Amino acid sequence: MNACTLQQARAAKHKAVELFRGTAAVAGIGITRIEDGYGLKVNLERPPESPLPTEVDGVPLRVEIVGTIRKREVTEGR
Amino acid sequence: MDLESVRELKRSLQEKLLAKLATTAQARSALGEAAHALGAGRAAPPTLALGVARRARNRFALAVRVQQRALEHSRTVEDLTKKAKGEVDVRYIGLVEKRVEPWHRQRRRPLCIGCSVGHFKVTAGTLGAFVRQRGGGSLSLLSNNHVLANENRGKRGDDILQPGAIDDGDNPADGVATLADFVRFKRVGANLVDAAMATVKEGVEADLTKLKGMGKLKGVGDVFVDEGTGVTKIGRTTGRTAGRVTAFEIDNVTVRFDIGELRFDNQIEIEGEGDAPFSDGGDSGSLIVGADLRAVALVFAGSDQGGANGQGLTYANPIQSVLDALRLELAL
Repeated sequence: MNACTLQQARAAKHKAVELFRGTAAVAGIGITRIEDGYGLKVNLERPPESPLPTEVDGVPLRVEIVGTIRKREVTEGR
Repeated sequence: MDLESVRELKRSLQEKLLAKLATTAQARSALGEAAHALGAGRAAPPTLALGVARRARNRFALAVRVQQRALEHSRTVEDLTKKAKGEVDVRYIGLVEKRVEPWHRQRRRPLCIGCSVGHFKVTAGTLGAFVRQRGGGSLSLLSNNHVLANENRGKRGDDILQPGAIDDGDNPADGVATLADFVRFKRVGANLVDAAMATVKEGVEADLTKLKGMGKLKGVGDVFVDEGTGVTKIGRTTGRTAGRVTAFEIDNVTVRFDIGELRFDNQIEIEGEGDAPFSDGGDSGSLIVGADLRAVALVFAGSDQGGANGQGLTYANPIQSVLDALRLELAL
């Protein structure tokens, strides 16, 4: 059961940003809800070369592969 | 047949057989249409279309697309089959109608939220909202830097077209506004917004608050947007779509632009409802509103992967950050 507060998640996010700095595949680190509390969402452009931790300072972490993020300008033919 | 043989056959048939079919009075009569004088202002009736169809990896056939039932088993099609030595793919397709573009890609006067717009050198994005500088100012459009200011390359006074250039916006006839201000992209360090504003030209009318099919924009929503919040947007490409916030206060969002990869902090992430993506290319600049029709965020980027439905995720700037960065308020 996850009962982490928003404040705990925000503090863990700052730590996670430092932790994953230099990890090329990271495309964003934010806050989401996991079970009944708040947690971290780590977006990756591609699958990681080695597994990521499942929590940071007791705050659970969910990983999602999102691919490349691009501006949403119209491309030819759309 | 190999590809080149089919192409050659298609060329020769198009020149001879179909030219005859389309232009002779005899052929028209055979199709049940009365002959009439050439140049009387009527186009030739739709008949057959030829192309190339793939049969196997390196084998191709002559594609014959029949636009009138009367021709499906006609002598003409028999002749084509014979000339292609039986290697044909015949299908009835009926009339091919010109696709009618949805309202959000068309010319809109008065201007309205959700329609196609863009700097004259940009394909198109979306008109997000109408704004004024705080303390009173000219009526202006709000959208992204990459839509109205061409990723820092636009100059104040540049024409903004509605619809955008790719939607046949004409320069200068469809110039509805001029670039007034934008938040410059930083190549080093974190960006917070992708935002620009353009002053609406005198005499161009605007429907300031209409959210087509939804009601009227009510103002700015709460600064805190929690995961699970239901949201809606109207955009140039996908029109009105519903979605759900999946994450917020996202830092280190790496977004690919023409000028390179840029980093954004404090962003909101949204997934589409049902089987549809929340946004697609061309929806940049769309205003996202909550169930109370108050503004929440401004779309600027997206991915093709991720989200519960696998249709990708949308990234948006919190609207308060956008308004603060350009010292704006919504024009209501």
